[in-house]
Amino acid sequence: MSKSLTVLLLDDEPIVGRRLKPALDKIGCQVEVFEDPRQAVARIDEKEFDIVVTDIRMEGLDGIQVLEHVQQKWPRTKVIMITGYAKMDLAREAMGKGVFDFIAKPFRPDDLRQIIARAAEALGMTIDVEPVNGNSGKE
Amino acid sequence: MSIILISSDDRETEAIIAEKVAQEKGYERLDRRFLNDVAARNDLNLDKLKDALTSTPTVLKKLAARQWRQSLACIEAEVLNRLLADNMVCCGLGAHLYVTGISHAMKIRVQSGKEKKIADIAEQNAVSFEKAAKWAAKELENQKKWSLTAFNADETDLSRYDMVINLDQIDPVEAVRTITGASEYRKFQVMTYSMKCLNDLALAARVNVELLKSMSDVNVQARDGAVIVYVRTLRRQKRKTVETIKELAGRVNGVSYVEVHVNKSLKEND
Repeated sequence: MSKSLTVLLLDDEPIVGRRLKPALDKIGCQVEVFEDPRQAVARIDEKEFDIVVTDIRMEGLDGIQVLEHVQQKWPRTKVIMITGYAKMDLAREAMGKGVFDFIAKPFRPDDLRQIIARAAEALGMTIDVEPVNGNSGKE
Repeated sequence: MSIILISSDDRETEAIIAEKVAQEKGYERLDRRFLNDVAARNDLNLDKLKDALTSTPTVLKKLAARQWRQSLACIEAEVLNRLLADNMVCCGLGAHLYVTGISHAMKIRVQSGKEKKIADIAEQNAVSFEKAAKWAAKELENQKKWSLTAFNADETDLSRYDMVINLDQIDPVEAVRTITGASEYRKFQVMTYSMKCLNDLALAARVNVELLKSMSDVNVQARDGAVIVYVRTLRRQKRKTVETIKELAGRVNGVSYVEVHVNKSLKEND
């Protein structure tokens, strides 16, 4: 059996984690959800995740700082940024700093699954974006 | 993967640099030849399309304001649709003015050598350097006027561009190398967000073309298939206008919802 994709999901809005975790669980990801960026960073220090999905605007630490921390600690990890305040300058800054992809909220869970699948491929792993339980993927 | 939009104060320079960059990158070049496709697909006169990209309508000119606006709208919609394919170098179609907020679209302004340009004008027209300098300045002023009238953006404002190259100081070969090198920067690479923004722009442009067939004075914005139309009309025509817009916009492929704002400012941020 192939290794599951490990994903850390960080967003200070609880609804985001509640909505996205089941969507990623369905495609076989092992997801850990955080709302506090400091707790997320502490967990990142303990464990190498394949993928980190992070919001940008958060209290305490912003997504760019989380990205830089991940890159320093685990260079292999792919970071995907999600934000409700997407602008071209921010998108370019994030891409320039090495984020794998950048997506504006609101988005469909399937949009994130497609990005996760591409990130997995870039890591040399494969993931089937069709849900493992055979559901259609509609949430 | 990216889009490179090249503009210049000199059309010939623009075309030469765009061609070399496209060759170097192995990208497709989208230039004024594309107007043939635009004319054929939209049943428009090719000469009028070309004219729309350089002239502004006046009471004395043959190009009527509404026709001019429609021509530009068709060019914009067709170009945006082509740019969705990515890996393109585009010039001569005004794209640097309406491809806005797209992080993977790199905007380059090539300033042709001023001294050379004046010398060329003087030689070609057998006029003094002083007169040629005045003509060159007038040409630039016309470009500014056209861009402001057409897309409410001043193409001579260098702060609009990601990179400005002055051919008085940089050799054209070096300029091409600089542009191709910069296009490799990660910040200009395509991402999910930038493709979504480009899709939104393309959808708004398609709706705009449909609406301009039967009305003027509209501003269209799109997001994820939802379209917002700002329009000015007389109060007694409000209901009919809203119905017409909803019907016309609703027919456009990709539109899932239409919202109409009547008598509001046509600019989003006003």
